[in-house]
Amino acid sequence: MLWQKAWLETRGRFLGGLVLGAIVAFGAIYDFRAVERLLPVVRNIDPSALDTSGPVGAAIRQSLEAQQSFRGFVWWQWYRQNLTYLVVIFGALLGAGGLLAKSGSAALFTLSLPVSRTRLIGTRALVGLAQLLALAIVPSLVLPLLAPSIGESYSIVDVLAHGACMFIVGAVFFSLAALLSNEYTDAWRPVLIACVVAAAIGMLEYIPGIGQYGMFRVMNGESYYRQVGLPWVGLLVNAGIAAALLRTAAVNLAHRDF
Amino acid sequence: MSDGLAIETADLRKRFDTTDALRGLNLRVPRGSIFAFLGRNGAGKTTTIKLLLGMARATSGQAHVLGLPAGDAAASVSIRRRTGFVDESKGLYDYMTVDAMIRFTAAFYPGWRPDHEKRYLQAFGLPRHQRIKTLSLGMRAKLALLLALCRGVELLVLDEPTVGLDPAASEEVLQAIVTHVSTESLTVFFSSHHLADVDQIADHIAIIDAGQTVVSGALDDLRGRYRRVQLVFAGEAPEIAFRAPGVVRVRRQGRVMTALSSAGSHALIEEAMRFGPVSADALPVTLKEIFLESVAQED
Repeated sequence: MLWQKAWLETRGRFLGGLVLGAIVAFGAIYDFRAVERLLPVVRNIDPSALDTSGPVGAAIRQSLEAQQSFRGFVWWQWYRQNLTYLVVIFGALLGAGGLLAKSGSAALFTLSLPVSRTRLIGTRALVGLAQLLALAIVPSLVLPLLAPSIGESYSIVDVLAHGACMFIVGAVFFSLAALLSNEYTDAWRPVLIACVVAAAIGMLEYIPGIGQYGMFRVMNGESYYRQVGLPWVGLLVNAGIAAALLRTAAVNLAHRDF
Repeated sequence: MSDGLAIETADLRKRFDTTDALRGLNLRVPRGSIFAFLGRNGAGKTTTIKLLLGMARATSGQAHVLGLPAGDAAASVSIRRRTGFVDESKGLYDYMTVDAMIRFTAAFYPGWRPDHEKRYLQAFGLPRHQRIKTLSLGMRAKLALLLALCRGVELLVLDEPTVGLDPAASEEVLQAIVTHVSTESLTVFFSSHHLADVDQIADHIAIIDAGQTVVSGALDDLRGRYRRVQLVFAGEAPEIAFRAPGVVRVRRQGRVMTALSSAGSHALIEEAMRFGPVSADALPVTLKEIFLESVAQED
């Protein structure tokens, strides 16, 4: 029954994220038509003529290079941008709340049930992570389903591989919000702090030399897109960080006075 | 811990930052009793309940509930499996319907009583398909009580069960508790500010003040032991440091001296007679007087 409770408390956020993700993915596919029309112009640009020494120039060059193909366009627009934002924000939203915020004054009722606090937070985390996994994969299924309608194709294996990367790094922000939810009785401060942390990490990745180890590179599966393979080390490190944050949240909750 | 006790605490202490919420609380709640736990706001009643149910951890001291150590996380789960609880705010899941809330709660208690569920749903007039968010405070209190009573447990812990209720709803809740206890073998431990409620249903009480037990025992026994002794003197009442046992408080006002004793009146009157009062009367006291005198600030 704790599963049902966790589902009822998070279904609004989860379904909202799912619908929003599907709409944005749908829009991304038909955006490719517009980009395709610009491709001849873009292809005539000589990348060597661009000043790509700074982070902005490098990003423009990368963007031009990537969006030459539908697969590259999808990676650049969807995985590198839209879905990344979506998973970070909704990951934090799903992780926030927990025992204190959503249950509100019912926290004591929950604590009076014959279950351990570890089971309470564990069930909530498993439901939230399952929802996050669905958010990382399901909206992207629009891509292989609708790509043929514009004369393109997209591999479902790519959806799964990128989805796995999104999910694992997204779990860090989910876990951070879950940890912060032990400290704040409202759901919004944990979300806000998790998003500010994500933005700070994103900015740090513009520092030359740091970017290649960045979380968001792991999250958008850049190495997979470039056919180097999945970023296993990055995935393991992020999974470890997420697990450590969740473990800390569980320990904090177990020792907390209500 | 004695087998005859549902709850026992020994020198229980709880400190929040710089505040001592409990300062060596000693409680002995007999099994099968209806035990009222009284105290002013901030006396430590809710903190005690939270410690008993594992919602907070004691700074030091011992607490046993149904023979199990309340401070042990695993034992606390067992305690909660055998305990029904209603908290002061009657906090329930607003997004559930009455029926969903009942099904949710029942799933955690193997001894859940569908017969009681049916009886109380009918008696309280609870609308099964209505969302909890839309229930009145009275209805929420009744639902919270139903959820506690139907668990098939040995102990009910009720934190201010009638707070915020109108007299009719309050009476309905109290009657449900009394009727339930008369047919089931269980202990009720409840905190309250309403001394009338306590007088109506409790057979044992404890009064706490500033985190310590100041009065404890069977209510009939306390009523038998507590006496107000009123002494009238010809002139100004003298200052007397009574040595008689059980003197709780002495007040002087002009020619009249009033002393409250928790150990009958004989020894106190005998000692007072040496000071030559014009008259000495021993009067029975109400629970309200016992309470007010026990928690009154020192002059």
